[in-house]
Amino acid sequence: MAVGYLTWRRLFGVIGALLVILLITLVAAAAVGPVRIDLWRALDPTVGGSPDALILFRARIPRVLLAAVVGGALATAGTALQALLRNPLADPHLVGISGGAALAGVCALAFAPPVFGRSIIVPAAAFLGALVSIWLVVRLALVGGRIESYALLLIGVIYNAFTGALLMFINTIVDFFQAHGILFWLMGSVANQDYDLIAALAIYTLAGLGLLLLRARDLDCLSLGDARAAELGVAVERARWQIFLAAALLVGAVVSVSGMIGFVGLVVPHVMRLLVGADHRLLLPVSYLAGAIFLVCADTAARTVLGATEIPVGVVTALAGAPVFAYLLRRDRRSLGTQ
Amino acid sequence: MRLCAERVRFSYPRGADVVSDVSLAVGSGEMLAVAGPNGSGKSTLLGLLSGVSTPSAGQVLLEGRDVRTIDRREMARSIAVVPQDAAMTFPFTVAETVLMGRAPHRGRFGLETPRDVAVAERAMERTGVSEFAGRPVTELSGGERQRVVIARALAQEPRILLLDEPTTHLDLRHATAVLDLLAELNVTDGVAIVAVLHDLTSAAMHFGRIAFLRAGQLVAEGSPEEIVQESMIRRVFDVDVRVRMDAGVLVVHPMPKRPN
Amino acid sequence: MRGQAKKRAGWGRATLCALGIAIIPTAACAAADAALPARIVSLAPSVTETLFAMGAGARVVGISDFCDYPPAVVDLPRIGSFVSPSVEAVLALEPDVVIGNQSPGNLRAVETLRRAGVRVVIVRPTRLADVPTTTRQIAAAAGTPEAGERLVARMDREMAAVRARLADVPRRRVLMVVGRTPLVAVGPGSFLGDLVAEARADNVVSSGGAWPRLSVEFVIAADPEVIIDSGMGTEEGASGDFWDRLDSVAAVRAGRVHPFLSYRVLRQGPRLPAAFADLARVIHPERWP
Repeated sequence: MAVGYLTWRRLFGVIGALLVILLITLVAAAAVGPVRIDLWRALDPTVGGSPDALILFRARIPRVLLAAVVGGALATAGTALQALLRNPLADPHLVGISGGAALAGVCALAFAPPVFGRSIIVPAAAFLGALVSIWLVVRLALVGGRIESYALLLIGVIYNAFTGALLMFINTIVDFFQAHGILFWLMGSVANQDYDLIAALAIYTLAGLGLLLLRARDLDCLSLGDARAAELGVAVERARWQIFLAAALLVGAVVSVSGMIGFVGLVVPHVMRLLVGADHRLLLPVSYLAGAIFLVCADTAARTVLGATEIPVGVVTALAGAPVFAYLLRRDRRSLGTQ
Repeated sequence: MRLCAERVRFSYPRGADVVSDVSLAVGSGEMLAVAGPNGSGKSTLLGLLSGVSTPSAGQVLLEGRDVRTIDRREMARSIAVVPQDAAMTFPFTVAETVLMGRAPHRGRFGLETPRDVAVAERAMERTGVSEFAGRPVTELSGGERQRVVIARALAQEPRILLLDEPTTHLDLRHATAVLDLLAELNVTDGVAIVAVLHDLTSAAMHFGRIAFLRAGQLVAEGSPEEIVQESMIRRVFDVDVRVRMDAGVLVVHPMPKRPN
Repeated sequence: MRGQAKKRAGWGRATLCALGIAIIPTAACAAADAALPARIVSLAPSVTETLFAMGAGARVVGISDFCDYPPAVVDLPRIGSFVSPSVEAVLALEPDVVIGNQSPGNLRAVETLRRAGVRVVIVRPTRLADVPTTTRQIAAAAGTPEAGERLVARMDREMAAVRARLADVPRRRVLMVVGRTPLVAVGPGSFLGDLVAEARADNVVSSGGAWPRLSVEFVIAADPEVIIDSGMGTEEGASGDFWDRLDSVAAVRAGRVHPFLSYRVLRQGPRLPAAFADLARVIHPERWP
């Protein structure tokens, strides 16, 4: 922090370092699991179809990659929303999009017959739910053509409560085994997706990051307040719309595929802001990378700690995130804010 | 560069007028002080002048152009605002905060140029916050933060500077320094200044024109000699004062009620 | 020239036919041998029990966390719960076939296994009438259709024996609950509901889907003659306090509130007739003097 502002050197240095850490994490996570595999045998092209290769390429690598993409997207969305709502404790699930996506996904899970042999209907329904929720939430939170922060938070809380109630209702009318499955889906999982979906999601989330990066300077100014941002030349309404949409679409897509994974979008941006500062040109990509690293580690723990039985990854993120968060809160209490 | 408000009115929906029928102008190189009791609409007027708030009636013109038609970035290159409160939620450093003043001059991509950095450093020097450059603003005192905000406005290299009670949290030394700085900006750089001030003595000392607002209306406007008079002050502020000339300087003495 | 070509083509076709006639049965035999999977993974307890009852137990190499019968399974490797089986664990066992119950929770895992080239057979034992079908499907998947037929026949005989015992017994009004907080009952559209009906009992619950949640008022109004409290296998026995409060209910007054260890009944496997007999005995004890 000696220089006090962002330089190219710092930008590339920090991002570069995080990229290296991410790569190492990805490799280590792929090597670890409830079943011990022989990595060399798995990677050996001459031995085709060994169980090691199958496990590595069919079960682990997709999972690890998906965890990275989902973690990155959640953290990035959290960063943007925290600036937009001027609240370093805002969580992307707060604005209600996740609740709507989850409700739609659960409806598909509970009532749609599993035809076509593919489970694409659940993510598709959930994403549709996310889009509908975005439309509803924005309409409700619009005050004179502007997306007001307090309205957004209020509407988000109410919307979540509403969809949560509907979710519980559905849980009472399905049978026990379905309810169990629904609970598991809700708690979030990055397991068992195919490469096509993961690749598509990766491109989608990186595009979202790119869109937000274009607005990085605006995010800095917006975090000072709408009036201040306007005084600094930001086209406030347009910027708020675009940023909210980008963040909401990120969250919607991710919840559709992996369920509700909490804490990543809250803790990672907050922690990274304390570590690398609040300049969004650095903070946004850093959050993506850190979120990816965090969720890959959490998922690795989720699938190795209890052997063949998996803990839902959302449980691990909360259990891990809370103490880390509390520690950093105590250490950097002054840096939190002047409110 | 001339900024004028023409018969502007501002009111909240279903509310009374906060500002009604005010016409005020400031030209290149002018220094205008705006004063009045609390709630007289001073901050609102500044908001209208900067173009951030839209008047319910009337218009605000910058160089003859309605500010509603001017792109916000262009506005921000001409007009900088120092707001009343400087609450900071996020731990930007002082340098980062001041550099945000360069935002209207920058494109979407890329980091600040060496010139941007130089401008920001000069601004920090002039407001005496260079020593805090690397520290998060959230760690500073209210007065230090206010100076940082002034530096940010300076970094915008504006032609017109609007300040809302810029010396409120500052100690005597720094308040004096800021007022001296404003005078310097005005004389040396030709920046027009509009400042909301409570201290009438300082206003009289540094500003060429003073405007009094009361209940959203412009009551009087003119040179300090014309405006700062006991009868006028009683009319606007509802308080008795004594105004004296002291070694060529107009001084306003509040008169506390003496207990018997 | 053309005529000669035609002749040659004709001979070629004949040779092919001859070869085909020789090859096909050989291929069929080879296929039949290959159809006996040597390594089977089971994703559900009912499937495990069925496999062992058909003599395929020796070929079972992996089971779910909840499989606990027959006792021989205790040392088998676990592959996770039936809601979320661990694809890795299954792949590590290099199975020839994976057999499981249909459940929305394992859909993605099943897809991943299939993408990895593993043969997965999913059965749907939703109602009592489905059991013979699913038993046959499991048998086919395990490569032992005859054993499957024998098991189905045996289960039919045992069920018939119990039904014979119950001939002409007066139908009793029965309430069967599987959980007390919340009060979840067995509904008519469920597997257990079918069993209750087979046991010549009238389920006082006639609507609300497979597992309706009841209010205590409903229980009092319905006034069942027999209450079977099956507590999901974890709450052993009927807690006296809970039912004693409802002393207007016929079953409570007559002391006809019976605990019932539920997990045997919840499995659509070979122990079903025995569980059915237990259930029938609880409802109509006079037929088992």
